[in-house]
Amino acid sequence: MTPWLVIVLLLGNFILMAFDARQIDSGQRVIRVWTQTIADFVQSPVTTLSSSISGYFGSIANLRSAQSENDALKQKVQELQVELKQKDDLSDENARLKALLGLRQQSKINVLPARIIGRDPSIWFDSSIIDKGSLDGVKLNMPVVTDGGLVGRVTAVGPLTSQVDMLTRDKSGVGGVIGEIGVSNALGVVSGTSKRDVIEMRYVAGSFDVQPGQVVYTTGQDGIYPPGLKIGEIVEVISGSATTPHRIFIRPSAGLTSMQEVAVLLYEPPAKSEFEQKLPNAVKK
Amino acid sequence: MDNLKITIALIVAVLLQWTLRNIAEPLGYIDFPLIIVVYAALQRDAIKAVLFGTFAGVAVDALSGGLLGANGFSKTLVAFVVSEIARRVYMDNVLLRIPVIAGASLLDDMVFYGLHRLFGQEPTAPVVATISYSLIATTIAGTIIFLLLDFILSERVRKPKREMFPTRRQTRRRNPIRLGK
Repeated sequence: MTPWLVIVLLLGNFILMAFDARQIDSGQRVIRVWTQTIADFVQSPVTTLSSSISGYFGSIANLRSAQSENDALKQKVQELQVELKQKDDLSDENARLKALLGLRQQSKINVLPARIIGRDPSIWFDSSIIDKGSLDGVKLNMPVVTDGGLVGRVTAVGPLTSQVDMLTRDKSGVGGVIGEIGVSNALGVVSGTSKRDVIEMRYVAGSFDVQPGQVVYTTGQDGIYPPGLKIGEIVEVISGSATTPHRIFIRPSAGLTSMQEVAVLLYEPPAKSEFEQKLPNAVKK
Repeated sequence: MDNLKITIALIVAVLLQWTLRNIAEPLGYIDFPLIIVVYAALQRDAIKAVLFGTFAGVAVDALSGGLLGANGFSKTLVAFVVSEIARRVYMDNVLLRIPVIAGASLLDDMVFYGLHRLFGQEPTAPVVATISYSLIATTIAGTIIFLLLDFILSERVRKPKREMFPTRRQTRRRNPIRLGK
């Protein structure tokens, strides 16, 4: 009896894996969605309790440095006010120039703040569970960011919670550009390296001059992420040649391991043209 | 009654696995469901152990970024292997259980990693470091949890008087090798 039961269970798990591996980049996994919903009833109270306890002790520890920090912050606020005024002037000027050129200003992307209520229970991966789901307007593949930069995308959506896969996952892929779009043509694909703190940018032509310290932004050409989001800073470059591309290693600017709050960008990429949808390798959506 | 207690322990283990990593990252290295699955397997009830393995594994996989079913597969396999060993070798001693937990953790991690490689999914964690930390953390935590579960499930708690006068016949019945199970 037991060996047969073991064989049936192992086979069942194997089929689940095969199905999941096939559907990993698209589609919704029902078991995950419902487990997330059940887990939310445990994870949310535990996270609230632990964060309030750590916050209480943290505030006691921080009280000592509060005075000097307060003085430094006041000075910083004054500096930022001057900077903000300059930026307002530039923004006004930009709006006037755009109006003159007859360009329509792009609609702003709505941002939904969310809290991380759970991390990957398996130590092998780094996905996170956030406390916003389809009832809040979250949809599959929506980008997730912090104030530092891009975090990843939503890979499973339940009614109350969603699962977020990080940039560091080896199957992730983001269209990236070194420097600002329009200024630089150093385009490539940013993907995970199976390391927690480094991601790699591939396919950047070896003829481009790339230096550590340069910043990489999204291009918006991948059909998931909007353009202009900060991905990270280049930390290492293995130079290519005229015929081989550079290998560029980037440190993600969002603190992926320590973040507690994130924001979901309620962004839906523009629909693909009829011609693009007819291409043999195109994703049909 | 013991079955109910172990089932409750398994549910608690899954809940701990879901929540503890968000509180402190190093706690993620402890595989709580595996500890309970191994404990159930050591009770020589293979059917219960493999069912526990599948349930706990899929419950962990469902919230993980890894493949759905990978933990279920590895834990089911571990449960079967441990229960088969427990049927043939006397393992009621705490010291003998330590290498069993360590071996189970090693086998579980290696099968889990191998399955992901087989399906072309590279985990984000460094392999050797993760397996090593997981082995150490799970073995230490497992030993403590086993002692705790032994205390909760032992007859001493329920029937203190019977323990004082154990009969020879009852002692022999507890040995499965002689009965040829």
